[in-house]
Amino acid sequence: MSEKYPSLAKGPFNAVVSSNRQTGERLYRLRLEFSGAGAESFAKFKPGQFAQIDIYGAALPPAEKIPEGLRDASGRNILLRRPFSFADVDKQGIKTFVDLLYRVVGPASLRMTTLSAGNLLSVIGPLGNGFWIPQNKKKALLVMGGMGAPPLLHLAKVLSANYPDIEITALVGTKTARELPFEGRLDEISQQLEFALREFAKYGAKSMLATDDGTAGYHGLVSDCLSQWFASSSWARDTTIIYACGPQAMLAKVAEIAKDKAIDCQISMEQMMACGIGVCQSCAVRCRVNGSNETVYKLCCEDGPVFDSREVVFSS
Amino acid sequence: MQQDIDISVDFSGIKLANPVFTASGTCGYADELSDFMDVKSLGGFITKSITLAPRKGHPTPRIVETNSGMLNAIGLANIGLDKFIEEKLPVISQMSIPVFVNVAGETIEEYVAVAERLSSEKAIAGFELNISCPNVAKGGICFGTDPQQVREITTAVKRACGQKVLMVKLSPCVTDISVIAQAAVEAGADAISLINTFTAMVIDIETRKPMLANRTGGLSGPAIKPIAVYLVNKVYREVTKDRGIPILGMGGIRTASDAIEFIIAGASAVAIGTASFVEPACAVKIIEGIKKYCVSHKITQIKELVGTLSE
Repeated sequence: MSEKYPSLAKGPFNAVVSSNRQTGERLYRLRLEFSGAGAESFAKFKPGQFAQIDIYGAALPPAEKIPEGLRDASGRNILLRRPFSFADVDKQGIKTFVDLLYRVVGPASLRMTTLSAGNLLSVIGPLGNGFWIPQNKKKALLVMGGMGAPPLLHLAKVLSANYPDIEITALVGTKTARELPFEGRLDEISQQLEFALREFAKYGAKSMLATDDGTAGYHGLVSDCLSQWFASSSWARDTTIIYACGPQAMLAKVAEIAKDKAIDCQISMEQMMACGIGVCQSCAVRCRVNGSNETVYKLCCEDGPVFDSREVVFSS
Repeated sequence: MQQDIDISVDFSGIKLANPVFTASGTCGYADELSDFMDVKSLGGFITKSITLAPRKGHPTPRIVETNSGMLNAIGLANIGLDKFIEEKLPVISQMSIPVFVNVAGETIEEYVAVAERLSSEKAIAGFELNISCPNVAKGGICFGTDPQQVREITTAVKRACGQKVLMVKLSPCVTDISVIAQAAVEAGADAISLINTFTAMVIDIETRKPMLANRTGGLSGPAIKPIAVYLVNKVYREVTKDRGIPILGMGGIRTASDAIEFIIAGASAVAIGTASFVEPACAVKIIEGIKKYCVSHKITQIKELVGTLSE
């Protein structure tokens, strides 16, 4: 393992909570500050990598603030760290700030809502491989579903800074407009297929929005938006690349589209993790072996979380 | 002052610098945790279970968190004996701490084959026999639940393992763990490790399906610690104490205080498992904590503490 990241310490580091803001219904943006060795390591954090965060010490909100549907789940103690990717990484002098977007869905995310400025969180990372940017790409399609958005937001920032020749289009899918994991967007969302989501527009990227229930943008799946983009845009096979992150069903459809168009496609996979550092063998991803019908299990935490979409075998 | 504290352990003839091991399945095959801690400072190391042929393991989900614990159904995913010898043994020989190879299998012959092949490897101090596996030859009954099978497998592996220390790892999913411990000891086990995980289940109440692809998994973590402490003490009093056979105690240890409970209960050494997933350098912190306890309680040799639970 040390050969992959020879110069990077992985912690655990104590990050300081800088801010923890609610940005939507059950949606929060947590900003963490690293200093010292943690700042050095996380300054090199690549889009698509992740960190393992210890939520164990965080407190539950008072009972009356717990949504009814989470009341039973809130009773469970947290044991394991939780993996998170970052929506933004910002090196400021000797400190590094990272932004983490989370939705309140269970006992850990519920406890995160009570974190406030000055609290310490133990963080292990950077972990995993991150997205890679092949040569000669002119168009990048960032396809995201639900809470798959954060690493692609970070990728948009890095692409716009380091690869200004790449034209970026963000395709954002969500169940319903209210769950869009970006701040206060409802006033900007039009019924048109293409419009600029501020979060992506600041990186010079166009956006397309799809909602399952039609409450904003295209009524349907974001993978359908992707197909529509191919049908209505000019693109060349070798200079186009898809980056995707989101639910398995979405990734499977995106992988199919990429295969059909013979286009490079990287997908960020997700699997339940215990350690996140390659020793527990929990986060197995079924992958094809070149030139055979065999499949092998690779680890999401070490061999991924980003995989070439042609490699991954999706369970039906 | 801390230099005067001797926390070294004579574990069936193997000298350990301290009583702390990392448990099988939680630390890789060799030095995978070296990004996070100095592996050489451990008392001992136990490898992931090795089987004769490589095993892919179960489909996912392989784990689920529970209240103060977790279930795992990894399915003994491992690279197999050949790759272990080729890729991991060279690293193990540089580790300069005692390394036990955990051995698993589906038939007695498979266990014997692994033990035989590794019995002449200098780098290895001993074997930990993982008997919590179904015996395919006996209709899938778990080796570790039947004293007769435990006797057979321990005898067979003992014959094959040469000078290596043979430690048998007990499953707690039995009626009387002392009966199993007794069988292992009578068949020649040099040491006993306990406990392995408890068979358990978590159900998704929306889908009405088990959360794990394998349906059931082994429960580990802080939730099982009180049961593990009780069982270690039971085996110590009823089986191993009078025979001078050392116990490696494990089950939910997270802190030095936890480890001390096991030692007082009768364990000569302890193993840290699940806690390493949360805090990779946990074992090293526990070693320091054990030293501190000895200083503050004026214990000059850790063996003074073993099995000192008052009657």
